[in-house]
Amino acid sequence: MKKHFTRRGILRSSSTLLALPFMESIGFRKFASATQVVAPPPRMVYLGMGFGVTADKWFPEREDTGSNYTFPKILKPLEKHRDGLTFIQNLMHQHSQDGHSGSTFWLTGANRYAVPGQSFHNSVSVDQVAAEHLGDETRFTSIQLCAKGNSNSGGDGHGPGLSLAWNRLGKPVSGLDTPIAAFHRLFSNDDTPLEKLQAQLKKQRSVLDTVMADAKSVQRKLSKSDNEKLDEYFQSVREIEVRLAKEEKWLGVEKKKPNPPIDEPGESLVGYPEMGIMADLMVAAMQVDATRVLTYRMPVDTVIASLGAGISAHTMSHYSHGERRDVSEMRDLHNAKFLSSFIDKLKASKEPDGSSLFDHSCLTMGTNLFSVHTLRNCPTLVAGGGAGFQHGRHLVMDDEKTPLCNLWYSQLKGIGADVDSFGDSTGVINELFEA
Amino acid sequence: MTLLRRYLYLTTVACFGTFAYAQNGAESINAIMPEKHFDILEKYCLDCHDAAIEKGEVNLEDLSFDLGTDLQTAETWQKVLNSLNTGEMPPEDKDQLTDEEKTVLLDDLSNHLVTARKILSDNGGEVTLRRLNRREYANTLEELIGVRPDITNLPDDQANAKFDTLGASLFFSSDQLEQYLNTARRTLELATLAQKTPEPGITRIEPEKEYNPHYLKVAGDLLDRAQRYYAWELAGGTDDVAKAHGFLDGWQAGRQLNSFHEYYPQVSKYLAAPENKTGAAFMLTIKEGFTQIKLPVLQWNQSGKYIIRVRASAYEDDPDRFRYLEFTRKVDQNAERLGWRKVSGSLRKPQVIEFEIDHPPGLKANYMVHKRTHEDRGDKNLWTEFRKENGYGTPWGIWVDWVEIEGPIAPGIEPGRYENVYFDKPADQSAPDYARDVIRRFAERAFRGETPSPEFLDHLYSRYDEAVAEGANLKQALIDPLSIILSSPSFLYMVESTGNEDSELLTGTELAVRLAFFLWSAPPDDELLSLGKSGKLSQPEMLTAQTQRLLSDPRSERFVESFVHQWLEMHRLGMFAFSGRQFPYFDNAVRDSARDEIFQMVRTLMDEKLPLRNLLKSDYLVINDVLADYYEIEGVTGHEFRKVPVPKGSPRGGLLGTVAFAAMGSDGQRSSPVERGAWVLRHLLNNPPPPAPPNVPQLSRLEGEVLGVRELQKAHQEEAQCAQCHRKIDPIGYGLENFDAAGLWRDMEIVKSGKKNKQQTSFEIDPSGKLSNGTTFDDYYQLRDRIADEVDNFAYGLTEALITYGLGRPFGFTDHTLAEEIVVKTKPGGYQFNEFIHALVQSKPFQTK
Repeated sequence: MKKHFTRRGILRSSSTLLALPFMESIGFRKFASATQVVAPPPRMVYLGMGFGVTADKWFPEREDTGSNYTFPKILKPLEKHRDGLTFIQNLMHQHSQDGHSGSTFWLTGANRYAVPGQSFHNSVSVDQVAAEHLGDETRFTSIQLCAKGNSNSGGDGHGPGLSLAWNRLGKPVSGLDTPIAAFHRLFSNDDTPLEKLQAQLKKQRSVLDTVMADAKSVQRKLSKSDNEKLDEYFQSVREIEVRLAKEEKWLGVEKKKPNPPIDEPGESLVGYPEMGIMADLMVAAMQVDATRVLTYRMPVDTVIASLGAGISAHTMSHYSHGERRDVSEMRDLHNAKFLSSFIDKLKASKEPDGSSLFDHSCLTMGTNLFSVHTLRNCPTLVAGGGAGFQHGRHLVMDDEKTPLCNLWYSQLKGIGADVDSFGDSTGVINELFEA
Repeated sequence: MTLLRRYLYLTTVACFGTFAYAQNGAESINAIMPEKHFDILEKYCLDCHDAAIEKGEVNLEDLSFDLGTDLQTAETWQKVLNSLNTGEMPPEDKDQLTDEEKTVLLDDLSNHLVTARKILSDNGGEVTLRRLNRREYANTLEELIGVRPDITNLPDDQANAKFDTLGASLFFSSDQLEQYLNTARRTLELATLAQKTPEPGITRIEPEKEYNPHYLKVAGDLLDRAQRYYAWELAGGTDDVAKAHGFLDGWQAGRQLNSFHEYYPQVSKYLAAPENKTGAAFMLTIKEGFTQIKLPVLQWNQSGKYIIRVRASAYEDDPDRFRYLEFTRKVDQNAERLGWRKVSGSLRKPQVIEFEIDHPPGLKANYMVHKRTHEDRGDKNLWTEFRKENGYGTPWGIWVDWVEIEGPIAPGIEPGRYENVYFDKPADQSAPDYARDVIRRFAERAFRGETPSPEFLDHLYSRYDEAVAEGANLKQALIDPLSIILSSPSFLYMVESTGNEDSELLTGTELAVRLAFFLWSAPPDDELLSLGKSGKLSQPEMLTAQTQRLLSDPRSERFVESFVHQWLEMHRLGMFAFSGRQFPYFDNAVRDSARDEIFQMVRTLMDEKLPLRNLLKSDYLVINDVLADYYEIEGVTGHEFRKVPVPKGSPRGGLLGTVAFAAMGSDGQRSSPVERGAWVLRHLLNNPPPPAPPNVPQLSRLEGEVLGVRELQKAHQEEAQCAQCHRKIDPIGYGLENFDAAGLWRDMEIVKSGKKNKQQTSFEIDPSGKLSNGTTFDDYYQLRDRIADEVDNFAYGLTEALITYGLGRPFGFTDHTLAEEIVVKTKPGGYQFNEFIHALVQSKPFQTK
C-alpha cells in the first residue's frame, strides 16, 4: 500500500490515524488568543495507581449505595468533594489475566493474546481516542506523565508500557518522567527568532527525510512480518511529522504562562512531593489550554519511600497484617490527598465564562488491579463535569463483570466523541447521566 | 454428550509437564485435557452449560478438549478456570466439586492453558526484526565512537519481556527517535572532547587536616552542652531558667545531655587515639558525620584512567567485615559503588592499596573512600546497637594515613576508535570530499556490512553542506550527519533480509552480526565481519573457531551477565530492602558480590569446561574475600573471584547454597518457601508452575498470628485452588528453610513481632519433604542431591532459555526439536556450558531467518 502513496500524501489524506489540525491558521490564531469567548472545552485526565488499593477500605460498603453513602475513612481528604465525584464498583476488564499489571490494559481493555502468533498484543487507549477528538486545537494533542523507574518490572505494579497511553497500533506512548521535563515541554518559551525556528523545523523535517531514505531501502529488503515491525519506525516518523506540522502552526504563538505563575521544579523532587508538582503542572496546562488530554502513571515505590515506609511497593502490595497494611492505607490516604488538592485547584481555576476548570474536567483515578492479584472490581473513581456525569453517588453495577470499557465509552460519548464503542464495551453506563 | 465425545478423538496425554518434552518429542506436544475431566464437567456443569441451555452463553458440551484449537476455545477454558478459581462456579446452591476433584481439574486446566497460550502464540519460528536493545545500543556506540553514551533516557527494554533480546517486544516510539538523535550527538561531541587529555598530576589528601578540627569542635560543643546542663540543673532545672543556659526548655536540655552521653565517648576516644594525630580512623557517628575521604571533583573534561592510592591500616581486633575500603562515585545525588579492598596492614605497618578508576568524558563526579555501607538507615541503626553493646558505636575497622589520586595515567577512551571515525585527511583531498568519505565509511561500519543507499548518503552529504554553509567547521558539520546514521533503521535494527527471496538462510554477514550480538551484545569486529562477508564463516569448523574466539574475548562477559541475569530472574536481588538491624552482615558489599558470584560460577564452568551439574551441586565455590568472610571460609585473600574447595560441613556449593538464591527467595524480612520453590521449579527442574491465578480470594484465616513459615503456608493446602500448585512448590521451599532471608545458615526460625519487632518467637525448622515426582528428602543436603539428579531437566531448561535469548524470539513449540537436538549433543560431554552455545550456533534455526 505504501508504494502508492507518499508519506506526506498519507499524512494529508488519512483522517483516522493522524487527526491533523485542519483549520485556517488565521482563525486558529484567533482561537489561540481567545479573543472570542467560546464555551469551555472538556478536559480528560486519567490517574493510574499501579498496584491496587487496600481491599476492604477503599470503596464505600457495597450495600451502602446512592448519594447518602458513608465516605471511606482512608479517603477522608476527598470527602469535601463528594458532591463532585462518584465511586463505581463492579467494573472490570474481561481479558485481563496478569495479576501484576495495573496499567498495561487499564485504558485499553485489550486481550493480550488476541492475535495468533504473538505473545503480547494491546490496542489504543481511551485517552488517545479522546485526544483525536479534543487534541486538534491545542498545542499538545495529549500529554503523558509518568515517573522515573516506574516502568521497571515489579516496581510500581503498572506492568509493561511507557505511560498509561497506547497508540492506534497498540504500541506504548512514552511519557515525561520528571516534573522538570514536563515543565519545559509545557511552558518553556524558546526565545529564538521566528525565522530561526522556521529554519529549525525545516531541518528537523530534513532529518526525517534522511532517516526515511534509509527506512525505505530497509523496507524493500524485509519480509512481510518484519515490515510490520518496521512500521513502528514509520509510525514514529509520522508522529513527529504531525507534531512538527502542529508546531509550525504554533510558531510565533507564545506558550502561555499560567497564572499564578509556576516555578521551574527542582531536579531532585521524588515521591509524594513530585506528585504534587505534577498536579500543579496538569492544572496549569489545562488552565492555559496547552492540552485537553492528560494521563499520569503515578509513582508508588518512591511515594511510599518518601512517606517513610521501609518496604518496597511490591512488598506492600502483598498486604499481610501490620506494617504492610499500614503502608498500604497510608498510600491510599495520600492518593486521596493528592486528588483532593488537585480538585481544589481545578475548582479555584476559573474559565472565561465564570465556570471552573473542574466543571469541564473528566477525571478518573483508578487501576486495573484491585488488590494483590485481583483484577475484578477495578478501583474506580470519576469526578468533574467534563463528560456530563451526575455525581455525588456510590454506584454498584448490577453485573459484577460490567466492562470497564463501558465507562471509557461513556466518557467518550460524554465529551462528544463520534464513536460507536470502545474496546469490549457493551454500551454506556446510563446511571452516570441520570440525575 | 456424544457431541462432546467427538472432540476427544485425539490421544490423551496423561503425563504433562516439560519433563515430558525431552522424552516424548515435539510432535506429542499439545494442550489436550485428559478425558477423565469430562465426567466432572458432566456432573457439575452441563446441567446449565450444555448445548441446549447454554446458560450465560457458555456451552461446555461442544467445547473442544484441545485447548490449543483456537483462541475462542482457549478463552472459554480461561473463563472456566477463572470462575472455578474465584469460587463463582458452580453456584452456591448447586453441587460442589470435592476438593480432590477441584485440585486435579485445576492443576490440569491451568497447566494446559499455559501450553495452549504458547501454541497459539507460536509464530512458526520466525525471528522478528530486532531493534538493538538499550545495552546493545550503548555497547555499539562505544565500539564505533569510543565513548559510552548516557542511556538513562532510553526506555529500559527489560521491562517488557523475559529477555531483552526479544524482537517482538522491543518497541519503538517517536520520543525514542529523538532520544537516539540527541544521544548520538552528545556522544560524538564527548568523543571530540575526550581527545584533549588533561595534564596528569597527583593530589594527596591528609584526612586529619579536615577531621581533627571537625571532631575537636564536635567534642567542644558536646562538652559545652553537658556543662550548661549541669549549671542549669544547679540553678533549679526549670523551664524558666532554661533560656539563661542556652536551652529552649527543660526537655531540650535533657536531649542535649543525652547527645553528650551518646557521642562524647566515641569522639573523645577518637581524639585520644595517637594514630589520629596523623591520619583518620573510619568512625561513624549518627549526627556528627561519617568519616569518608572525598577526592577532588573530576570535571566533565577530565576523562581518563586514574589511580587512587590509600595508605591504611586495619584494627586487628575488629571483625573482618569492618576492614574493607569501599570506593564510590557520586554523580549528583546518585552514588555508585565501584568496589572494595580489604586492608591487612597493621597500625605499625600500614599498607598502600591501589584502586584504578575510569572517569568517563562528560561526567562531573565525586570519588570517595569510606567503610562498607548498608542500605537506607542500616548503618545508623547498627551504630545504635553497637553503642549499647560497647559504649561508643560501630567498630572503626580502618585507619587511613593519606589518600591520593594520580592521573590521568591513560586516556579514557580506547585508542583507535575515534581515529577510525575521523581518520587523517589525505593532504590532496578537499574538505567536502573528505567529509563525504567520513560519512560513507562511518555509515558502512554503523550498518554492519549493509551498504547504505545512495539516496540516503546524498541526504547526509547535503546536511553536511548546509551546516558548512551556515558557518560550522568540518567536525561540527559532521556531527549532524553522523548522528542521523546512528538513528536510522539500518543501524537500530538487525536487518536480516537473507539477500535471497528463495532462501531462508542468513547471509554470511547477517550470521556474523547475529553471532556477535548473541555473545558480545555488540557488533562483529573486523575479523568476524570479513569472514562473514567472504562466506567462510558458514563453514562449520570456522563457525566453531569463531564462536570459541568470541567466548574467549572479554566482551563475552556481557553475554554471561545479561543472559544469566535474565535467565535466573536476578532482578529480584535488588527488589527488596534488607534492614541493617535484622541482617547486619548483609550489606551492599555482600549483595553486589552475591550477584557477581552467580556470574562467576557460570564463567568458571565455561572457562574450565566443567559439567553443568556443578551449578546444582559442586565441591568448589567461586568467591572473593567479601563472600569468604560472609560464608566463613578461611584463606581467601584478595578481591578477585576464584575457585576454592567447599570446606567440610559447609552447606555451600551450587546455586541453592548461594546468598543470591536465598535472598531472591525472600522479601527482605522472611524467607519465602513459595518464591524459592517456584524458582527451583522454573529454573532448575524446568517444570514451571502456571502463573499465580488472578482473583483468588486472599487467605486471611491466619492473619495476625505469629507462626513459623511452614505453619503459615499450610493455609495454601486448605483451598483446592491453591493446593493444586502449592503442593508442588512449597515442599521444595521448606527444604531450603535452613537459609535465612539473607542466606545464612540457621537451625531455628526466629520470627519478630509486636511493637518495634521486640517480641521474638522461635520455631523448629523441619526441612523434610517430598518432590512432586514422589522422591522424598530429609534435609537440605538430600534435597540438593535429588535436584542434582535432575540435571537432564536443568539442561533442557537452560537450552530453552539460550534459544530464546540467542534467537531473539519466544521459545516456541516448533523449537522442541531443536532443544532436544542440543540436549542430546551436549549430554555425552556432561553438559558443558560452551557446548550448548556451539550446538545452538551450529543449528539451522540459528542460521536462518
